[in-house]
Amino acid sequence: MSEHVIETRGLTVYYGRQRGIVDVDLRVREGEIFGFLGPNGAGKTTTQRVLLDIIRPTAGEARLFGLDCRKQGVEARRRVGYLPGELALYDSMRASQFFEMTASLLDSAAAHAHWKTLAERLDLDASRRIRQLSRGNRQKVGVVAAFMHQPDLLILDEPTTGLDPLMQQKVMELVREAKAAGATVFFSSHILPEVQAVCDRVGIIREGALVATERVETLMHQQFKRLQMTFAAPPPAGAFDLDGVEVTGQDERTITLKVQKNLDQVLATAATLGISDIETIPVTLEEIFLAFYGKGNGGNHA
Amino acid sequence: MLKLFLQELRFRRNGIIAWGLGLCFFPVVYVGLYPSFADQLPNFQEMMDIALYQALGISMASFEGYVASTVTNLIPVILAIYAVISGTGTLAGEEDDGRLETVVALPIPRWQIVAVKALALAIALALILAITSAGAGLTLAAISSQVDTTVTPAGMFWSLMAAWPLVLAFAMISLFLGAFCPSRRIAATLATIIIVASFLGNNLAGMITSLERIKGLFLFNYFEASAEALINGQQPADLLALLLVALAAFALAVLFFQRRDITVGAWPWQRGRVPA
Repeated sequence: MSEHVIETRGLTVYYGRQRGIVDVDLRVREGEIFGFLGPNGAGKTTTQRVLLDIIRPTAGEARLFGLDCRKQGVEARRRVGYLPGELALYDSMRASQFFEMTASLLDSAAAHAHWKTLAERLDLDASRRIRQLSRGNRQKVGVVAAFMHQPDLLILDEPTTGLDPLMQQKVMELVREAKAAGATVFFSSHILPEVQAVCDRVGIIREGALVATERVETLMHQQFKRLQMTFAAPPPAGAFDLDGVEVTGQDERTITLKVQKNLDQVLATAATLGISDIETIPVTLEEIFLAFYGKGNGGNHA
Repeated sequence: MLKLFLQELRFRRNGIIAWGLGLCFFPVVYVGLYPSFADQLPNFQEMMDIALYQALGISMASFEGYVASTVTNLIPVILAIYAVISGTGTLAGEEDDGRLETVVALPIPRWQIVAVKALALAIALALILAITSAGAGLTLAAISSQVDTTVTPAGMFWSLMAAWPLVLAFAMISLFLGAFCPSRRIAATLATIIIVASFLGNNLAGMITSLERIKGLFLFNYFEASAEALINGQQPADLLALLLVALAAFALAVLFFQRRDITVGAWPWQRGRVPA
């Protein structure tokens, strides 16, 4: 059997003539947490849906545990816990009824026993009807349903959406515990600290193509900062011509810099020029990733 | 699978009760009030002689004709509306609102999902009809001493229950359209057109000779809402034909659902192609 829990080759999905994903070759190893990143519409959800046989590929193949996602999909999905990004539930059911029904359909004795523990950990009142639950609590229902049968593979699409910071932390704890128990986790997220904290590797998908995959440590080593500084008087041209520093925007008294190196020199120069305000502009993981790969033109498909 | 089936029935519980009691209103009122104006009905019969009423199978000449023209004629049409709402809501509706994704991602073959939902829908229709038919039968039992008829309360019950294959056929066609069309809205529109065309087409075929040849295409042709059918029951061959239509529509629903890209909302011929 393949050492890869998830394996796709030339995976391509077109919606009519509209591009979904193109030629995605993805390999996720057993026991790793793989972050799947990209802007909206890049193809993250499409990839996840193909893996679960919700939609069918136009070309290429997708395998879970070495099993064809379509022909052997039922067998493969027994070992998968899935949390969709756009979670829609049966509103008239109580959360407990939903868990019991899901456990029965999964044919999992573990799930019947485990969902209560998970609900307690996430402070979820499972006796309430789903329609009475807040967005965050509905998300908890989805999280419990994904984890309750202790699957070998978790496919999570934005798992912490709608959760408060404490709950986000608890969900990430569940992800770490699943990994410790030997599970593989494949999840998409926009939250950089979340990805940084738990992922072993990340892959970025852009306009339907997997631009690259990389280990998180390697990626974060390349992190840059974006600073916006305002001065009492217009700074002289070329004041920030330093190695690893790029001017990305400038008007009369304000200058925006992308700083990869020499932060101390930047700050020292700014101080001598009479800085009146400084702001750090958040950098997305995608920007870091694309910067690292020279706007996505290369990379180690590790 | 039993859990999913029971859950499907539970989802439909309120609909079954509401539609059952709502539909009950028709036979209870129409049959229950019959004795109070039975002596005036012959006056209406003259009006009933016009072609359109004849085409619609409306006759007030007897209790049986009156019941057939009102209750037996109306109940399947009204219940067909439930069949469309529920049939298109079952796959297409759940897909439109995103719930189906959660179910399809579970380790269940797709044909089983369709089968369980179709079975629950068939049982829901039978229960609604049973409530309505029981209402009609009990009402007839209550007024039987004031009515000159050979129809028994049990006969009344079964004559309405005989509409089940007809509404089942509409439900399965709606289910199929839900698996075939891009959205529930389109599926429901097409299913409604089929029902209206079938009802009007069947009735107009009695008036327009050119339509006579295609009468067999209209499903209402296989359900006779007449005094004779109320007394002697429906033709077994007609009921069988309706059940075969329901079965064929179910098979098509399974076939198209097996191939469907859930959440995409496209016609089957709009499947993606890699550009050359």
